[in-house]
Amino acid sequence: MSRLRGKLALITGASRGLGRQLAIDFACEGVAGLALVARNAVALSGVRESILAGRPDVNIVCIEADLTREADIERAVATTLVAFRGRLDVLVNNAAILGPTPLPYLLDYPLEDFRAVLETNLIAPFVLIQRLLPAMTEHGGSIINVSSDAGVVGYAGWGAYGISKFGIEGLSRTWAAELAGSKVRLNIVDPGSMNTDMYRASDPSADPDELTDPADVTEIFVHLASDASRHVNGERFLAQELDPDHDTEGVSSSEAEGNR
Amino acid sequence: MTAPFTFSLPAELTAREPPERRGLSRDGVRLLVLNRRSGKVEHARFHQLTGYLRPGDLLVFNSSRTIPAVLEGHTASTANDVELRLAEHLPDDSWLALLRCRAVDDCGCGLEEGVRIDLEDGFSVVVGNRHDQIPRLWRLRFSVTGSTLIDYLYRLGRPVRYEYVAKPWGLDYYQTVYASEPGSAEMPSAGRAFTWRMLLDLPKRGIETTRIVLHAGLSSYLDDEADACHAAAEEEYFIREEAAQAINRAKKNGHRVIAVGTTVVRALESSIGPDGRVQAGHRYTSLRVTPAHRLRSVDGLLTGLHEPEASHLDLLAAFVSPERIRQAYAQAVERRYLWHEFGDLNLII
Repeated sequence: MSRLRGKLALITGASRGLGRQLAIDFACEGVAGLALVARNAVALSGVRESILAGRPDVNIVCIEADLTREADIERAVATTLVAFRGRLDVLVNNAAILGPTPLPYLLDYPLEDFRAVLETNLIAPFVLIQRLLPAMTEHGGSIINVSSDAGVVGYAGWGAYGISKFGIEGLSRTWAAELAGSKVRLNIVDPGSMNTDMYRASDPSADPDELTDPADVTEIFVHLASDASRHVNGERFLAQELDPDHDTEGVSSSEAEGNR
Repeated sequence: MTAPFTFSLPAELTAREPPERRGLSRDGVRLLVLNRRSGKVEHARFHQLTGYLRPGDLLVFNSSRTIPAVLEGHTASTANDVELRLAEHLPDDSWLALLRCRAVDDCGCGLEEGVRIDLEDGFSVVVGNRHDQIPRLWRLRFSVTGSTLIDYLYRLGRPVRYEYVAKPWGLDYYQTVYASEPGSAEMPSAGRAFTWRMLLDLPKRGIETTRIVLHAGLSSYLDDEADACHAAAEEEYFIREEAAQAINRAKKNGHRVIAVGTTVVRALESSIGPDGRVQAGHRYTSLRVTPAHRLRSVDGLLTGLHEPEASHLDLLAAFVSPERIRQAYAQAVERRYLWHEFGDLNLII
C-alpha cells in the first residue's frame, strides 16, 4: 500500500502504544519522512530500527523532547523542519499523559499534576500546531488530534485527562473553523480503549486480551493523513467504529457509541 | 560609501518591546505608505494594508525561521570567554560567525586560524580563516553537523538581541507567524506584523502570495566602522519553481510584485536570468542593491524603518528618490514612528 507515498509526518508520543503503531503503519503506507517525538530516546531508537528494517529509505528523525517545555517544542519543530526542508504534510498530536494513578477525584487532584496534564495534552498540541502550520499552508496538510470519549462525557475520576481532552475537542473545532477554506484540514480521532500502557494504568481491572490492539485502529489515521481525505475538515471519528469491509471515511461520533 | 541622505534618529524612537507587549496587536503597528510615483505619504495601521493593495498584486514573503544563533564558549588553550554569533551556514557545512572576546581587549584572546573553542556539553568549533570582505567574521567548523547541531543550538543557543530591547525576549518573539525553514540569524522582520487572520484573508481579496527563503545574516557586526560600510556577507536563498512561476506570471500580466522585506528584494534581484525572468534555484548572494540598481523583479516593498546608515537607505533609493524617502522619514520622526525589529513599517508602492 502506498497511500502516503512521499509524505512527511510528525507524530508525538511515538515511542510506544498508538504513536509507535502509527509510525510503523505510516512507513508501510509509503511516507518519505517521519519525525518521531517522545521523552524516551532509547525507545524512539527502537521504533526507528523496527521501521528501517523494512523501509530503509525512510528519513526518520528521532527527537527526544518534553512537551511541557516550550523550548523543547521549538527544538522539535526546528529539527523537523531542517530535516524536511521547511515542509510538513501530516501532524499527529498523539502524545498524552494520564496524570497520577490510580486516578484521583478532582477534589483530591494535586495542582502540579493537573498543570502537567494540561501542558502535555492541551498546550503542547496548541503550540505544535501554531508553529508547524506555516510548513503546511502552501502545499496543504492534515492535522489529526487524538481525543477520547472522556473528552465528550464527564466521567467521574477521569480528572485532568478528561478535561484536557475536552480542551482538545474545543481547540480542534475552533481551529478547524479558522482553517476552513485553506489547504490545511484538522480532524479529531477517538481511538477508543486500546491495549496500551496508558489504558491499562487507567483501568487496572481491564483484561488486556479483551482490549483492542493499537494496530487495529490506525486505518482512520492513514485515511486522514492521505489525500483521499483532502476535503474532510472539522470532523470527529471513532476509530473502532470503522467498517473494515467498506472504504469508509469513518463514523461521526453522533452515529455511534464511543469508548474511553 | 555615502548615504543617499541623512537624518537624526532620536533614541526614544526605538521599539523596545514587541507590539503585543506594549498594548498593541501584532498587526496594530503603524504603516507609513509612500507612493513611488507621486511621493505622497499616508499614515495608517498595518492591519489596513490590504486597502493599499489590489487584486492581482503578488506579495512575496521570506519564510526563513530565526534560529537561536548566539552561543557561549571559551578558547581551549587560553580559556578566554568568547561569544559566537552565527551569521550564515556555508555550502561546505562550515559557518560564518562573529566572534566576540569577553576580555576588554578584543584582540587579546588569541583568536586565529586553527584555534579550538570549547562549547558546553562537550561540543566544540575550530576557527578557520577570516572572511575576505568582512574581517569581523570568521569561518567555523562545528564538531557535529546536521540535525545534531540543530538540536544542540536549540538546547543552548539564544536569539541575537541588541542592547535597545527592554527584556531578553524569547525566540518566539523573533519569528514571523509564517516562518518555516530554520536558518536566519536575525528575523526577517518586515513580515512580523502579519497575522494569520490577514494571511488567510488575502486570497479572498484576490491578492496572491508566494514564498521564498533567504536566511538573513547579522544586521550589525558590532563595530561602527564595519557597520558603516556594511559589506553584505553571502546569504543562502531558495526560490522554488512555483514561486518563480508566480512572480514571472505576475510580471507578465502587469501585476505588481511586492517584496515583504529587503531580503526578498535581494533574493529576487539576484535571480534574474538572461531572459530577464526570475529563475528558481538554491544559491548564495552578496548582492547590494544601490540607487543605481534597476529593479527588474520587484515593484513594491514592505519594510521596516531603517537607520541613518548608508547601506540600508541605499536599497530604498532603488525604489524611490532619496529626496522622497527623506521627506517621508521626516514625517515618521515627527510623528514618532518606532524603529527596529519590533517597530513600525513602511510600504513603498
